[in-house]
Amino acid sequence: MGAYLLKRLVSLIPILFGISVLVFTILHLVPGDPASIMLGTNATEESIAALRKSMGLDEPLVTQYLTWVGGLLQGDFGVSVHSGQEILPQIIKRFGITLQLTVFAVLIGWLVAIPFGIISAIRAHSKTDIGVRVATLLGISVPNFAIGTLLLLVTSLYFNWFPPIDVVSFWENPVEAFKVFVLPATTMGIVVAAGVMRMTRSAFLETMDKDFIRTARAKGNSKWTVVIGHAFRNSSIPIVTIAGMQIGYLLGGSVIVEQLFSIPGLGQYVLEAIYQRDYPVVQGGVLFVALVFVLVNLLIDLIYTWIDPRIKY
Amino acid sequence: MKKRVLAGMFLSLSLALSACSGGGSAPSEQAKPQDQSQQQEQPQASAKTELIVAAEQEPVGFDPHKVPAASSVRIYSLLYDSLTKLDENMNLIPHLAEKWETSEDGKTITVSLVKGVKFQDGKDLTAEDVKFSFERILNPDTGSISKSYFSSLESIEAKDPTTVVFHLKNPDAAFMANTSSASTSIVPAGSGDLTTDTAGSGPYMLEKYESGQYVLLKKNPNYFRSDLAKVETIKFQIMKDEAERLAAIRAGKIDVSMVSADSATLLQGKPGVEVKGYQSLEYSYLGINVNKKPFDDPKVRQAISYAVDRNQIVQTVWKGEAALTGPIAPAVKGWAVDTNSYDTYKLNVEKAKALLAEAGYPNGFETQIDTAATYPDMVETAQVLQQQLKAIGINAKINQLEWGNYIDVWKSKDGNLMVGRNTSGVDADRSMRYFFHTEGSANVWNYSNPAYDELVQNALMAVDQTERKAMYEKAQKMLVEEDVPNLFLASPKNFYAVRDNIEFAPSAAGESFALVRASIK
Repeated sequence: MGAYLLKRLVSLIPILFGISVLVFTILHLVPGDPASIMLGTNATEESIAALRKSMGLDEPLVTQYLTWVGGLLQGDFGVSVHSGQEILPQIIKRFGITLQLTVFAVLIGWLVAIPFGIISAIRAHSKTDIGVRVATLLGISVPNFAIGTLLLLVTSLYFNWFPPIDVVSFWENPVEAFKVFVLPATTMGIVVAAGVMRMTRSAFLETMDKDFIRTARAKGNSKWTVVIGHAFRNSSIPIVTIAGMQIGYLLGGSVIVEQLFSIPGLGQYVLEAIYQRDYPVVQGGVLFVALVFVLVNLLIDLIYTWIDPRIKY
Repeated sequence: MKKRVLAGMFLSLSLALSACSGGGSAPSEQAKPQDQSQQQEQPQASAKTELIVAAEQEPVGFDPHKVPAASSVRIYSLLYDSLTKLDENMNLIPHLAEKWETSEDGKTITVSLVKGVKFQDGKDLTAEDVKFSFERILNPDTGSISKSYFSSLESIEAKDPTTVVFHLKNPDAAFMANTSSASTSIVPAGSGDLTTDTAGSGPYMLEKYESGQYVLLKKNPNYFRSDLAKVETIKFQIMKDEAERLAAIRAGKIDVSMVSADSATLLQGKPGVEVKGYQSLEYSYLGINVNKKPFDDPKVRQAISYAVDRNQIVQTVWKGEAALTGPIAPAVKGWAVDTNSYDTYKLNVEKAKALLAEAGYPNGFETQIDTAATYPDMVETAQVLQQQLKAIGINAKINQLEWGNYIDVWKSKDGNLMVGRNTSGVDADRSMRYFFHTEGSANVWNYSNPAYDELVQNALMAVDQTERKAMYEKAQKMLVEEDVPNLFLASPKNFYAVRDNIEFAPSAAGESFALVRASIK
């Protein structure tokens, strides 16, 4: 186990190195120059040159890359060429917001998806099952910007309720934070729920057909005892897998939902930086998201061993 | 819960779609359910001391000499002061400069500063600070885009604490008007980088900037104009999505928000919200690369002008909320020429075809219009032009570019046709010399006409205003009727949605001009 963990952590190095080269290259290949974007069509050649120089963009690309990576190795993500703000504190702060949103969305999603997925599997082909499956299909098909806009309009126009406009964290003020995050988290939760519900249903259908379930039932256990005590754990692996993937994606920041609800999360931070060609921010942001994604996947792999002790690394 | 949400979604699908797309047909139905309940949420007039303004974009630093982005200008123009200001009719009015005198030869301008003005840190604002600020703008390392405004400036002298003398290389009639721009604000002598640091003398002080969320400004209690800055705090709330801004202003969560012409129609007559529009300084244009074949022939460019129905652009793209414009937008009242006087503005397809034939293209040609996908109005303008040009056999392909990419193409001076938007400057000189003089830094059309160059250069040096006006009229006619390096299409109105308990009068003088005069009823 310890050796496995070490191996996985060491394998992070080439992954992150590869990503750093990739993101740096792609970003500098994209047309558009941060200085000209910042100064707009009102700029003079002279002012663009001065700004490029102050942004360090007049250096050769290799030098720029080495400077950047050199900084990273010392834990220095650099400063935004745009706002002059330190990048790492911003990433951490915004990641904190994205993390809260993700946890909330995932909780909403799972609380709906797992019970309904189980019911749907146990009562396969019943009216409930069909209802759940239709809802799942809708949840997957309707884009989240449509769901989000609808939620915002329905609550503000029909219920005259609009979420607080300043974002507060759950640690500061749980009640306010709930109000801030409830709409965006529901928007994301619907999509999460749809995926998890499908997976729960199919996993349970498969497990409920297994011999050990029949044996457990034959021993006189009630249906729900069997479902909770025997089927649940045995069906969890695929559910945890898809949930892990979803968390990984959501932690990268849900760009559309963050934009729509003005949640200053990581997705919005990186998106804005892409528009402005704020190279160090995009590079740092993408690298950070990649790291989180890989770590979440590692965590999921470790959770497997807890769910199913037969799995050994 | 999920089902209930989904049911709600179905019920209001049509509602949301119309709101998403900004379509104007459904809004009256949308409002009804909310009308009665709206009243309860009205903030208490007496308790409210904070004005919340929606900001569509995140500011990119607060250094007035370095950042020309509108998202930053709207904030630093409240933190700093400039020597002069423009009022709502675009008349130059004194500000930090109490009065100024121009010498007879037009080459010396002596400015008297208002006495007793202090920076927010308590230091006096003196002639030394003015000298430092202009020298900072002129320093190439600052990279200020305002440097190009002051090419005539030779040296600055701080004669005594309240007297500044500007020595010019040549007379410059636009000089004082150019000092009204917020990007020529006066900063304390010795200032370093002001991107995150601010120390102006302006009506508001930077209290807090929460990146991605808001910028909070607090009233400067020692502001030298006690008649201005009536509101205690102004909060710029960053809200990037128009649908969210609309919902927020209707729910009374924000007080002031800039809105599109589409949304303005949608909000018209909604309780609690007033929509206020004004003629902006902007205009949309079709830029023509006069070096490229077939556009190197003025006849081809004139043909395009005759083939374009500008009124259709006003109606389709701007829903009628725009005015026809020449090289100087109509909001710049003193200088703009009445577009009715232009022959090339009258749609004349036959004449256009004849001109094309004379130029050797009786069957038209294929070409490309570059435009920015980021701005829907530019894309729509390009589409209308594409249709209209078909009538004379010009088949244009539209090339939509992402903003960063668009700026690259714009700078390359190598496009064919390009749809974009310009802002008329505070003085006629900006609109004429900067965009169309051979040396003009925004002349990306390769347009060069020595007669035009001489005319606008002389106009700049003319001390007599009547004479100056006549020269600019002639220059405008030259651009519109003869050389046609650009087609000037439409100057849109800008709209603000304002809660009805807020006194706020937006105008071409700019948002900050209205904000320092705003009050809560």
